[in-house]
Amino acid sequence: MSENLQSRRSFITSILTLGAAGLSASIIYPIIKYLTPPKQREAEVSNVSAGKIKDMENDSFKIVRFGNKPVILIKTDKGDFKALSAQCTHLDCTVQYKKSEGVIWCACHNGKYDLNGRNISGPPPRPLDPYMVQIKGEEVFISKKA
Amino acid sequence: MKKMLLLTIPIFFFYFNPTSVFAADDQCYTCHSALEDKESKLFAGDIHFKKGISCSGCHGGDKSSEDNEVAMSKAKGFIGVPKGDKITEVCAKCHASEKMMKSFGSKLPINQYDNLINSAHGKSSTVSGTRIVQCTTCHTAHGIKSVKDPLSPVYATNIPKTCSKCHGDAAYMRNYNPSLAIDQYTKYLTSVHGMLNSKGDPKPAQCASCHGSHDIKPVKDIKSKVYPVNLPYTCSNCHSNKEYMAQYKIPTDQFEKYARSVHGKALLEKNDPGAPACNSCHGNHGAAPPGVESISQVCGTCHALNAELFSGSPHKAAFEKKGYPECETCHSNHEIVTATNKLLGVGKDAVCIRCHEDKSSNGYKSASMMRSLIDSLDNTKQSAIVLINEAEQKGMDVTEAKFKLRDINQVKLETRTQVHSFDPKKFKDIVDKGLVISADASADANHAIHEYYFRRVGLCVSFFLISLLVFGLYLYLRKIEKK
Amino acid sequence: MVKKYFTKTYEWLDERLDLTSLSHFIEKKYVPVHAHSIWYYFGGVSLFFFLIQVLTGILLLFYYKGSADLAFESIQFIMSKVEFGWLIRSIHAWAANLFILSVFIHMFSVFFEKSYRKPRELTWVTGVFLFFMTLAFGFSGYLLPWNKLAFFATKVGTDIAGNIPIVGNIMKGFLRGGDDVTGATLSRFFGFHVALFPGIFTILLVIHLIMVQRQGMSEPMETEGTPETEKKSMPFFPNFMLRDLLLWLIVLNVLAILAVFFPADLGEKADPFSSAPAGIKPEWYFLFMFQTLKYIPAKIFIMDGELLGILLFGFAGLLWVLVPFWDTQSSKGLRNRKINYIGLFAVGFIIVLTILGWVS
Repeated sequence: MSENLQSRRSFITSILTLGAAGLSASIIYPIIKYLTPPKQREAEVSNVSAGKIKDMENDSFKIVRFGNKPVILIKTDKGDFKALSAQCTHLDCTVQYKKSEGVIWCACHNGKYDLNGRNISGPPPRPLDPYMVQIKGEEVFISKKA
Repeated sequence: MKKMLLLTIPIFFFYFNPTSVFAADDQCYTCHSALEDKESKLFAGDIHFKKGISCSGCHGGDKSSEDNEVAMSKAKGFIGVPKGDKITEVCAKCHASEKMMKSFGSKLPINQYDNLINSAHGKSSTVSGTRIVQCTTCHTAHGIKSVKDPLSPVYATNIPKTCSKCHGDAAYMRNYNPSLAIDQYTKYLTSVHGMLNSKGDPKPAQCASCHGSHDIKPVKDIKSKVYPVNLPYTCSNCHSNKEYMAQYKIPTDQFEKYARSVHGKALLEKNDPGAPACNSCHGNHGAAPPGVESISQVCGTCHALNAELFSGSPHKAAFEKKGYPECETCHSNHEIVTATNKLLGVGKDAVCIRCHEDKSSNGYKSASMMRSLIDSLDNTKQSAIVLINEAEQKGMDVTEAKFKLRDINQVKLETRTQVHSFDPKKFKDIVDKGLVISADASADANHAIHEYYFRRVGLCVSFFLISLLVFGLYLYLRKIEKK
Repeated sequence: MVKKYFTKTYEWLDERLDLTSLSHFIEKKYVPVHAHSIWYYFGGVSLFFFLIQVLTGILLLFYYKGSADLAFESIQFIMSKVEFGWLIRSIHAWAANLFILSVFIHMFSVFFEKSYRKPRELTWVTGVFLFFMTLAFGFSGYLLPWNKLAFFATKVGTDIAGNIPIVGNIMKGFLRGGDDVTGATLSRFFGFHVALFPGIFTILLVIHLIMVQRQGMSEPMETEGTPETEKKSMPFFPNFMLRDLLLWLIVLNVLAILAVFFPADLGEKADPFSSAPAGIKPEWYFLFMFQTLKYIPAKIFIMDGELLGILLFGFAGLLWVLVPFWDTQSSKGLRNRKINYIGLFAVGFIIVLTILGWVS
């Protein structure tokens, strides 16, 4: 009889222990994962990192995602950075930097912009919106112009 | 008042019509023709004179008086030689009055003055302080002929020369608009319109046909008949008129086709000023259909990359040899529709197979390969979209994957351009780039969907564990309360 | 083995804090067992929800940013980029609603049992204020995602507050941090929600709980006459406490299921220049008041309809808080059917108007 009771007690104890352990795990595991910093450090909406300064060559460009819009970041031959909206104001194609002419060029209909975003040739009716570039240490950051 | 009374005299005599009767009563003309001055000589051929209007009709004064002090007295309304804007006002006194024009039985319009003062020519010149152009500038002063008279400077075959008197004079134009071109007439003479016009045909377009006569507006004015958005309608006024164009034996469906095209829709429906109008490809003053070898240059002003690739491709020489009009061969000239994948390859609607029928030929193989590559890109993009939608439906965040779709669209554009190199290898490189991005986007979407299911599995696990504890507590409570 | 360490720790603490007398006190506590015992649990369940809110709230604070241009995006970030962020936020949102529901049930069950009668008047008063605080938590927290619905709900809510006579405009300005709902409002509401209200709530809660501990559970008036020997009860520790824990775990499971199958949504970011979405209405717990105000005609005699509505609710609330003081019958131990009728009317009114508000 007492063995039965004993086994009942230990059964209950084991369930309680397992259950308690399970509960703790179900609570602690998500909390720990939550508190671990995610890959993207914070909600990047007003400020986006565009990589390290030395990772870009002079007189080159790259397209960066700002929110859900593309931004063209140009490092001039003098080493200055310029950031502009990469959506062509004609029909929304993504523009690129044409090294040979030193202009921003849209391959779709041959529209051209100068490095300030002003539309200088072809169909584009409006200039490209400017973005602000900030250098913090070794990294380049792009933010919306106020 | 006096002028009006004076003018009733010719009306009274109009019904008698013998010119001599007028001449007899028209002392102005009698005197001045006796003097044999230039103006009266010209005036003899003037349409106003033929209608019985005397010099006093414009200059004022009393034409019945032989005494020139009376005839040319201010009291009798004599205004001398009108200068500047006064000239046009004098003309408008009759030509802008419905009553006046009706009394002569004329069906001429009466809006010339209003149109002129609102036109580019109606602006005041800063040089002289008066309007740039007066009626007499184009119509002359004393030998005015009807517009339908081949001797009139504003008859169709004479208009180009009349306009270029000012517009072809660099020094003159510099006073008003230094950046305005002055070679329109020269260009015009090289055009089909110009060549026919100089042979004496009044039907082809001349300056007034497109720019208007009195209501000429600057090209950049949206009300101008040659403003890009309005230009196709202006051209089609003649070019879509079957009867008018019958003798020239060219098609009259260009406007219709153009309106259906990508360019037409963009310009006429969306009012995109960047889209080409008739003059963008045909030129305006030197209007002529572009020559067969130069078509890709013309299209290439906007479609630069396509033209460049085409010129470097084997098709350039081949088309030249066969006399095929480059871009037009595959894309047509006026009815250029959106190029879909169907245009490429060896299918029913494809253009390649029109020449490359031989299944063993390189051309056939390349066309077929490029088509299947571009189709595969479309398919992977579609499957990425399906996955993204599924993830979004499930409430997961897919903004980054959606952003990648934009890149895929860029690649699609690139492939469509690269077609014109007709080089399957280069084409494949670009398609591969697109396939990688599609795969990426799909992976992102899949990751989101996976996360969705992970949550449910996780819930099951935690639910089980918590329930286990609940069960254990229940058993324990039951045990301790059994006593 | 585990038990040995547990005992050792207990003895170490006992030497310093005299835990033994505390454990004796707890052992002596009994909870009455009768037909209405089930209602005893709702106080604890409400407390559980509050603890959940504090925990998930603190976790959310690690990633939430309380300014107008970052609030929405930071929650988007929590939902999509932070591991289990969706879980923490969804639990916080669901627990908020269940917390308010549980407090409603707790309050009404106490009302119907007339447990507010002497000597528990102050417990009732602190309780009603805790209830008001819960609603305040709901109102302030709702704005924090800075989405379109919340923006306009806050606008409407503070507009109504502005209609309170005399102090209305000052209150509106104070709540909004200005004339309109702006980023300033968000900052204030954030401060209210994470600092001021938790502080006030905790103080009230501690007072409330101490009083409950001191006075023990109230028994239904019907059983008060029964002799002690026939009264059934169970020890608070461990029986009632374990039962409480069991219920809390079931509630935890429910929260998890809701969080996974009905995650909190975010909607669209607030745009002060856009017009209110059609059919805007407040959260369900304010719906009955909102709907009532809608039904009151614009003008009643010379009085502004909305003002009358506000005053009526204010008056009703005052009566509600003070019920232990004007229900003298219950305090004397006499049955008071009127209270039941009032309670039924209140419950019915709230339910019917909430439903009407929901479907309209």
